[in-house]
Amino acid sequence: MTDRETASFGFRDIPAAEKAARVQAVFASVAGRYDLMNDLMSGGIHRLWKTAMLDWLAPRPGTHLLDVAGGTGDIAMRFLDRTGGEGRATVCDLSPEMVAVGRDRATDRGRLGEVAWVCGNGEALPLADRSVDAYTIAFGLRNTTHIDAVLAEAQRVLKPAGRFMCLEFSHVAVPLLGEIYERYSFRVLPWLGKLVAGDADSYRYLVESIRRFPAQSELAAMVEAAGLGQVSVRNLSGGIAAIHSAWRI
Amino acid sequence: MPPARAAIDPKLLEILVCPLTKGPLRYVPDQQELVSEQAGLAYPIRDGIPIMLAEEARELEDNER
Repeated sequence: MTDRETASFGFRDIPAAEKAARVQAVFASVAGRYDLMNDLMSGGIHRLWKTAMLDWLAPRPGTHLLDVAGGTGDIAMRFLDRTGGEGRATVCDLSPEMVAVGRDRATDRGRLGEVAWVCGNGEALPLADRSVDAYTIAFGLRNTTHIDAVLAEAQRVLKPAGRFMCLEFSHVAVPLLGEIYERYSFRVLPWLGKLVAGDADSYRYLVESIRRFPAQSELAAMVEAAGLGQVSVRNLSGGIAAIHSAWRI
Repeated sequence: MPPARAAIDPKLLEILVCPLTKGPLRYVPDQQELVSEQAGLAYPIRDGIPIMLAEEARELEDNER
């Protein structure tokens, strides 16, 4: 890392070293209302997208999942619902505030023993090589500073034949939808963020970061470059979001 | 009665490594820290949650190494 290296923060470029702290501040600010905001922003569609990812993942009992950037535990809970009490999930998130919200929720649902919580950075995971059967990152990769470092770490912690899956906002493949979505996300979302979470800037960041994120084919190439194989992509809602799937060979 | 101090998950402890060196960690229950000798850092455990970020870690004193 050089002094001059920059990273995208919304539409601004900032020193790369600062991005993690800025993203941490955004999530500390919105943690308590994050899932509610996601519901409002997407009209509940993010739930269907997450369901689509877990359908594709099709976890078997006994699987150990690592969910990175999964602070509120939404993916981990859905995963455990499908593993019949024989699954195990580890949630790793950069934001202690998000993790705290997730753990309280897990406690309320009687899931405490099945989920382990750790605060860590997806670019430098605190987990041993080949320690998990599946790796998911949902709406998290966009917020990291070095996507390639995150993917390399995913490859490292997965066991051979382990599954990688990323759910993220992507690039709309349908022209008219793209235009409507553009207006909605730049005008309506920051307003909604202010109304519900009292924080328009944080949601403006989220919208801008979506635009800066690599398109489907570009991300697929990055996943492959990280040493993961059999990469495939499924668009959701016309490409507003996409799932990238791959395997550690 | 004060609430019991949240314990770190023993199964998590088995797979945790230092994020910088990927080397082993030593759990110090009294101080609620995870010590990476190789990195010379002690990672805090807050409310049962290990904070595995170098910028949140304490540098080890000479007599701790």
